[in-house]
Parts: sequence; structure tokens; C-alpha cells
Amino acid sequence: MSWVTALWSMNAAACLTLAGFYLAVWCKQRQSPMYLVFSCSAIAAAAISAFELWMVNSRTVDQYEQLARWVHVPTWALTLSFVAFVRLYLHAGRLWLAWSIYGLRTLVLILNFIFPISINFSAITDIRQFSWGGQMVSVPVGDPNPWGLLSTISLFLLLIFSVDAAITVWRRGDRQRALLVGGSMIFGAILAWNVPLVIWGVIDVPFFLGFAYTGIVATMGYELSNDLARVAGLVRELEISEKRLNLAADSANLGMWEWDIVRDEIWMTDKGRALFGFDPPEKVDFDRFRNRLYLEDRESVNSAVEKSLRTGAEYESEYRVVLPDGQIRWIAGRGQVEFNRGGRPVRMRGASLDITTRKQAEEQATRHRNEMAHLSRVTTLGELSGSLAHELNLPLGAILSNAQAAQRILANGDADLAEVREILNDIVSEDKRAAEVIRRLRLWLKKGEVQQHSLNINKVVQDVLKLIRTDLNGQNVTVTTELSQNLPTVNGDSVQLQQVLVNLVVNACDAMANCNAPERWLLIRTGIESSSRAVIVSVTDRGSSIPEKKMEEIFEPFFTTKEKGMGLGLSVCRTIIAAHRGKLWATNNADRGATLHFTLPATASDKESVTTNNKMGQ
Amino acid sequence: MSAPSSATVFVVDDYAPGRRSITRLLRTAGFVVAAFASAQDFLAQYDPGVRGCLVLDLAMPTVSGLELQSILGERGSLLPIIFLTGTGDIPKSVQAMKQGASDFLTKPVNDEDLLAAVRVAIEKNRALHWEQAELSEIRTRLATLTPREREVLEYVVAGKLNKQIADELGTVEQTVKVHRAHVMQKMRVHSVAELVRLTQRCGIGGAVY
Repeated sequence: MSWVTALWSMNAAACLTLAGFYLAVWCKQRQSPMYLVFSCSAIAAAAISAFELWMVNSRTVDQYEQLARWVHVPTWALTLSFVAFVRLYLHAGRLWLAWSIYGLRTLVLILNFIFPISINFSAITDIRQFSWGGQMVSVPVGDPNPWGLLSTISLFLLLIFSVDAAITVWRRGDRQRALLVGGSMIFGAILAWNVPLVIWGVIDVPFFLGFAYTGIVATMGYELSNDLARVAGLVRELEISEKRLNLAADSANLGMWEWDIVRDEIWMTDKGRALFGFDPPEKVDFDRFRNRLYLEDRESVNSAVEKSLRTGAEYESEYRVVLPDGQIRWIAGRGQVEFNRGGRPVRMRGASLDITTRKQAEEQATRHRNEMAHLSRVTTLGELSGSLAHELNLPLGAILSNAQAAQRILANGDADLAEVREILNDIVSEDKRAAEVIRRLRLWLKKGEVQQHSLNINKVVQDVLKLIRTDLNGQNVTVTTELSQNLPTVNGDSVQLQQVLVNLVVNACDAMANCNAPERWLLIRTGIESSSRAVIVSVTDRGSSIPEKKMEEIFEPFFTTKEKGMGLGLSVCRTIIAAHRGKLWATNNADRGATLHFTLPATASDKESVTTNNKMGQ
Repeated sequence: MSAPSSATVFVVDDYAPGRRSITRLLRTAGFVVAAFASAQDFLAQYDPGVRGCLVLDLAMPTVSGLELQSILGERGSLLPIIFLTGTGDIPKSVQAMKQGASDFLTKPVNDEDLLAAVRVAIEKNRALHWEQAELSEIRTRLATLTPREREVLEYVVAGKLNKQIADELGTVEQTVKVHRAHVMQKMRVHSVAELVRLTQRCGIGGAVY
């Protein structure tokens, strides 16, 4: 075998090997099309080498004509895959240039098969054989086809495309890659001028374009192999970091999970399974997970999951699970949703944490706070007992006198029915009034779970004024209210909020005990704090000011200026307001007296309803 | 049962159902009742010469029961006051009694207690009026005395004998006797004891020396 045959064959074989290897890689990583593109270019380069070998060895004009025509097919394929590779792998090259090359090269291919011989030759008259490097090689003799210029132009465009792409990559800072891939493509594009030069008879060499292409393919292959090596390194690092993560998760008692939404399968770490009481082999899906939840918490977890599936927001929820042995555990879950290109949720990943201890501590703190609040209410009630007795004695007195008047009317024997009817009406309404006082009293004294409701704070203010009206009268305190209308509702326990207001009002009255009666004036105001969208309530008195250094001290337990009272009022008020996620503070008025303010966040649904209303209005 | 027709029971209470019930009770017991929702309303029509008594709520806004009591006291009112209270506030009840309240009742008040208190108060009012009338009669009689007779009266009431009075005034016993007869006649009394009783009502005698 001659060395020309050996060299060209080896070249083709090398290209085929590379093509086969990356085709196998692509089969495993279908999401990376550049492996396929690369294989195509390598196969095309191998084919070109084979064609060139055949041409060198061809002995008849007819045979040469066929080869010269069909060699354009792999050339077309190679050009297309080069351009695709640059776009896909380097993310460079101008799109319009790429499409121009595609169009022109395809036009060349079509014209090639339309012309009688090929796009390069209008006629091949003879095969010229000469000795090259000690071997007889064939080159064609004939008339060049002027349309061959199109092929040359496409080559020229490819050159510009490659230079431009290389510059882009260079500027991006990836200089090594720019030099390697871009440089080799420029080099290949320059070498490709071998074809027109041979055709025009300028140089006496066989076609050796295959080698130029092999060079480019080899460079591309080198780059890709670098990537593969990098991927392998990443896999190793990933394994290490996963181990670290697991270690961290385990020591933090974190259970990791991943929910394949399409297949409805939940994968969990061992820790995660332990948290929810799932055995290692047990298959977990969303329903099984849901069945583990405490009945009352299912709805909130469901809506939290649905919300993040719908909006893509982070999933966050705190709930109880009931383990198979009946034990109840508090879990905090967090997660993120992954969407496919169509915007459909496909996967959710997250972590769950056992927060039972924290929750128990919180519950205990809440219980203590409520007990404290209750105790303070009882104390306050003791201070207000005169007032309450009055509230009850008024209707009771009216009932008794009315009833006794009726008895007398009946005893006199000249019963005026209209009068008796009026008396009975009064008795009924007074009885209801007394019952209402008792109902309020019972609520006030009730010990037990705090009821969170959506409340109008103005209603709380009015209830409080009813409760302590007599007390205010007795102390000759005039109350003015400025209640802002259309306030958003707040979430809270009405009794505890009443308690706060009663305390503030009673304190304000006490502060004015030494004022002259006409100056005992109290202002209760409600409004919106625009900055935080919270409802604000303030109680202003005209008594003595609070010394600046005691502004905070007054909220401490057992701080008192009174002879009676334990000094728990304001400290309890502050814990109540804090539990309602609000703030309580004091300021001195510009002229005299002090004002106590507290804020309560507006109910969330109210905010939403405001925005929906706006939307509906638009 | 009959009530003195000339006496009126004034009820002042800001709490309407309470006011109505007390009014009804008193009316069925035969009293003439006039009810007011506030101290101001009552004062607006107050006539010092009126006979009767006042049933007053202790805790009222603006002008309280105690304040009305003071105002009436300053005006020399003769209306006895029965206080009604829902709270049984001890310091206030003490103050009310010191200011001369006739009675102090706690709501709910039993009808017999209230009626008894009202009767007592009306009786007290009648006595006060009678006393006042008597007093002005005595003053009228005193006004008819000449300065000399007035001097003699004071010595007589102080227990001096005619002879002593004559010495004090630098005159003769006979003249004193004439003055003394005039005094007894003008004051329409028949004995020195009677004269002493009358003059004591007006604050004359005893303390002069």
C-alpha cells in the first residue's frame, strides 16, 4: 500500500473513531446536542477524506466526475455542523452569517446536482497523473464552472463567521478556547482554498482538505474532552458536597425530600423518613404524606403547597404530623418548585425540620402569657368592681321598682293596662341589659384558649367605654373619641385587646387624679399608620408627663406609681400587644400629659381584598 | 294612703329607665312627682319656696348629685335630699350625709324603704317650713320693740332682776317694769320662760354676756 493511501485512510479512520465515541456520549446525554453535531462533523470529515482518496486513485474521467459531484454532500454536512457547533458550544457567531452560510451552501449543493458535471467543473476532459511524494496521483483537467465562485464565497463567509466568533469568545475572556477553536477553523478555512487552487490548476497537489477538517475536528474533540473531564471533576465534587450536606442535614435534624410531581413519588433521606415515621422501603406519595398530617393542619399544608405550585413562591409551612405510634410531632417544611419549559411544575425539593421542642416552648409561653393576662384582668376587675356593680344595679334597680310599682297598681284595683304594659316592656329591656353586663363580665373573666378573630378596633373601643363608663363618670373624666372610619380589620382576641385599652384608660385616669375636675379630659383615637399598614390606637391624657428616663421602665413588671395595684398592667399589655404582632409605646404630649400608642397589623386578607377590589375596579 | 297634696317629690336621674321606674313607684304610692334627666334641668325650674323632697342619683355626668346638693345648700334650699346610688360608695355617702342628706339608699331599692324615706323627708320639709315660718314671726315681733325695750329684753332673758336691770341702765325699777310689760305684750308671751324659748330660736340671749 502506498503511503498516500495509508495517510488518507488513517485520517478517515481517526475521524470515524472520534465520531463514534462522541455519538456514544450523546446517546447518554441527549440534552447536549453539541455531541451529535460534533459526531456529524467528524463523520463528514471522514467521508471527505475517503472521497479524496478515491479521487487520487481514480483512473477514468467518468469515475472522477461522479466523485467530484458527490464529495459536495459531506462538505455541505461538515459546513452546517461546524456552524452549528460554534453557535451551540461557543455561543458565538452572528446568526445572520450562519443562516447566509446555510443558504449559500445548500444552494451550492442543489446547483451541484443540477449542472451536468458539478459546480466546480463545466467539463472534465482528462485525468492528469503525476508523481507526488513517490506515488502516482490523479488530478482533473477541465474547464472550471464559473458558478464555482458561489462555493468560494461560502468558504469566505465561513472564514468571516469564524473570525467574528473567535473575537467574541476572546472578548468574553475565554482566550484559550478562542485561540483553539477559532484559530483552527480560520486555519481550516484558509487551507480549504486548496480546492479552487487545484481546480484552477494553480498548484499541482491532490486535494487534502480532509486533513484540514480533521485538524478542526481534533481541536473540537479536544475541547469537548476537556468538558468531559470537567464534568467528571464536578461529579466528584458534587459527591463530596452531597456528603457534607447530608452530614449537615443529619446533625441539624433536617430531613431532605424531593417530590416528583409528574410521577407523584416522594424521595426522602433516612432522616426525613424517620421524621414522618415512614419505613425505609415504604413508597411515599403525596397522599401518604398528607395522611400523616394532623387533621386540622391538612388544609393549611395543602393550600401552602398549591400556592407555591401556582406562583412558584417558596413553600413554607408549619404543621403537626401524627406518627404511627400516635405521637405528635411539629414539623417546619420549606421547599422550592421546579417548572418545565411549559411552565408546569414538575418537581419540588425541600427540607423538613423537627420543631416540636420550639413549639412546645412557644405553647407554654403562650399559656403563661394568657394566664398572666387573665390574672391581670381579674385584678383590674377588682379595681373596677364599684363600676361594675353600678352597671348591674342600674337595670336591677329599675326592674325592682317597676315590678313593685306594678304590684301596687294591681293592689289598688284600678289597673291601667297601658301603664302595666309599659312597665313590663321596661322590665324586659332592663333584664336584657343586665344579662348583657353579665355576659361581658363572664367573657372578661373567662380563662382559657385565646380566640383569634377578625375585629374592628372601633368596636373594641366602644365596648371598653361601656365597661368603664361609670368609673369615668365617677372620676369626672370626660372622654372624647376620634374613631377613624373604614379601618381595616385586625386579627386578635377581643377580650385581651379590651383589657389593654381598659388598662391604658384606667392609667390615664389615675394620672389625672390630681387635676381639677374640668381638666380631666381623655382622648381615644384610632387610625392607620401608613408606613406599616397597621391600625394604631392612642390614648391621650392631660395628667402628669412621664419622666424621659422612665419611658421604657413603665412597661417593666412591678413598676407602679400607685399605692394599690401590682404594677403588672402595662407589662401585661405589652406582652399582649406583642403576641398580636404589634407594638406598644409611650410619648409625652407637647403641652402636658402623655399618650400611649399601640399598633396592630391589618388582617392580611383585608389587604388582599383591597387589591382585588382595585383590580376589579380597573 | 294619702300624701300631702302640696308636696312634690322631685326625681333627678340621668338613667332614663331608672328614672321612669322610680317615678311610677312614687306615683302609684300617691305622690306628686316631677322627674328630671339632669341637675341642670332641675335647677332651671327650681323654686325655693316649693314643698316636698328630692330623690337624687349620686353618679351623674357633668353635675353630680353631690354637686347639686352643694348648690342647693348655698341657695338655702329646704328640700331634704334622698340619695340613690348603684355603687354604695362609702366616702361619697359619708360626704352626702355630712352635707345634710336626708337618706342614702342603694339601688336596687325596696319600695317600702324608698317610700318611708320619702315620707320622712317630706315630713322634715314640712317641719322646716313651719320652723322657718315661726322664726320669721318671732323676728317680726322683735322688730316692733324700741331699742330700750330690746335692751331690757336681753337683760330679762339673761336672768337679771328688775332692780339689777335698772342699775345697769341707770334708771328706776318702775321704768324697767313698764318696759318689761311692753316687751311681754309685743312678743305675745305670758312668762319669762316662754320669752327665753322664743329668743333662743333667734339666737338671742345667753351668749351675749
